[in-house]
Amino acid sequence: MDCKKAERFLLRSYDTALEPEEKKRLQGHLEGCPSCRRKDREYREILGHLRPDFIPEPLPYFRERLLARIREKDKAAPALFGLKWAHRAVLFFLAVQILFGVGLLLTPREKTRELSRAERLFLQNENPLTETASLLNQQRAEDKNMMLIFASLDDRNGGRR
Amino acid sequence: MDERELIRRSQQGDGEAFGVLIERFKGKVFSLAYGFTQDRTAADDLAQEVFIKAYFSLPRFKARSEFGTWLYRIAVNHAKDFLRKNRSRQKDISIDEIGENRLAAGEKSQEDLRSVEERRATVLAAVERLPEKYRVVLTLRDIEGMSYEDIARILDLSPGTVDSRLHRARQKLRQRLTTSLNRQGGDDGL
Repeated sequence: MDCKKAERFLLRSYDTALEPEEKKRLQGHLEGCPSCRRKDREYREILGHLRPDFIPEPLPYFRERLLARIREKDKAAPALFGLKWAHRAVLFFLAVQILFGVGLLLTPREKTRELSRAERLFLQNENPLTETASLLNQQRAEDKNMMLIFASLDDRNGGRR
Repeated sequence: MDERELIRRSQQGDGEAFGVLIERFKGKVFSLAYGFTQDRTAADDLAQEVFIKAYFSLPRFKARSEFGTWLYRIAVNHAKDFLRKNRSRQKDISIDEIGENRLAAGEKSQEDLRSVEERRATVLAAVERLPEKYRVVLTLRDIEGMSYEDIARILDLSPGTVDSRLHRARQKLRQRLTTSLNRQGGDDGL
């Protein structure tokens, strides 16, 4: 038996009785090993100091004090419940605010729209009417074509109905 | 009155029934708290906190384990919190202190020997410095004297794990005490 195994048996022997064979082997080892004998002495002294000679009683009126504290807490319970939920609501509101802010920061901004020619003229304090009029004229011709297309589509849909 | 009946009544808010449960378990809960705190006032306060927590958690107690085991589990968790909060308060054992406590072997004269209480205090100070998982198992077994099976149930561990943790805890404790002692010059153990 080596010292490591002897220490294991030694520690177990403080809690439970070893098998006769194990006990014999341990004793044989201890007789020839001063280091393990010293360990045995040290462990016994440490364990002896750990096990208290006496345990004091709780302070007086333990039960009465305890029941009074429970009654007090019982009364305060609804208020504490409200307080707990108020804290949660505040935290939730803050979390939403933070998420909204982060969302705003992360959302890609729209590219700046290019100004139309008329708008540019407005900004330059020039009269856009002459330019706009020619544009309107062009659009009207397209509108006319579009209206013809839509009218033909309406006729087809009406026929199906 | 039957324990189940007391629990059932306590679950319905019967303070008197819970009072009986307090009377039945206060000794063990206090002893457990004292094992961790080594201070009567702190243990009293801790034990009260344990019962308050138990009272308000009782509606959720499903009797899957024994009431005592459930209560000790609460007590151990509270004790762990206590240890964490008071970690800074824990006493550091310096080599000098060990010397002052005359734990070093070889001091044979009656004058130099300090009382057994002082030795015990030094050993307990060393326990305070153990990592929490070792300290808890060591306290439950070597201070409280609980069985491996009870410790396993309270800590929700296998008895094998309890055994190996306890083994490691005792080894660490001895090493800590003897390392200091050897540095101090003693070599005959405690």
